[in-house]
Amino acid sequence: MAAFTGASSTTLISPPHISRQCLASTRISGLKMVSFSNSGRSNLPVSFRRLQISCAAKPETVEKVCDIVKKQLALKDDVSVAGDSKFATLGADSLDTVEIVMALEEAFGITVEEESAQSIATVQDAADLIEKLCEKDSA
Amino acid sequence: MAFAMRVKVPPNSATLQEARHRTFDFFRAACRSIPSIMDIYNLYDVVTPSQLRSTIAAEIRKNAHISNPKVIDMLLFKGMEELSNITEHAKQRHHIIGQYVVGNQGLVQDVATKDENISKFLKNFYKTNYF
Repeated sequence: MAAFTGASSTTLISPPHISRQCLASTRISGLKMVSFSNSGRSNLPVSFRRLQISCAAKPETVEKVCDIVKKQLALKDDVSVAGDSKFATLGADSLDTVEIVMALEEAFGITVEEESAQSIATVQDAADLIEKLCEKDSA
Repeated sequence: MAFAMRVKVPPNSATLQEARHRTFDFFRAACRSIPSIMDIYNLYDVVTPSQLRSTIAAEIRKNAHISNPKVIDMLLFKGMEELSNITEHAKQRHHIIGQYVVGNQGLVQDVATKDENISKFLKNFYKTNYF
């Protein structure tokens, strides 16, 4: 269904309204493949998009986000930052959250709108938002 | 006097929530202009963008205890003025370095290569009499 090239860009042969080239990533995680192949029936675009977003955040993106969060909040190495850790529980106040979003903007080269920035509460939210914006950029 | 008439001041924030919102907007605007600031004043070897971000956040945090929206608006006005001065190159490199890069100890971090071979004894000796 999809053809992978090892190195630079990958193209997904998929329903036309989702066809995009993810230049930011060099491999597509298995999760995304599963979500596409499950949509044999004719989906409403909205529900399909929801399905994709909820399970599609590449682990390396989450890893990068965790690193940035750790550095920003000056956490010790033994504090574990997982996908579902909220920023508030890690000791970040609202200004810290905004700063983390700005650091992510710089690291990934994206621009986050204000409304989307307000809704970020956990590491997973941030990673999903980054994915969405990366795809939109390279689409 | 003529300049004062030219500047448009937005109306005061009605609530603390709105003032907070404006603070975050100001912080975002400042962070987004960091790349151009580093370009204008050629700060690439001296400081990284994330250090500048922390400095800006620290300045904002210094006044984090204020609860009067009008005072917050005044502080934001001053902050915006400072930011526009910096971005339109009305300041000079040593102003930026002295005000935003140099840390509390009054010394730039050891970026200079001549400091790398200094012994620990000398480092402590320069810092204080009692070690």
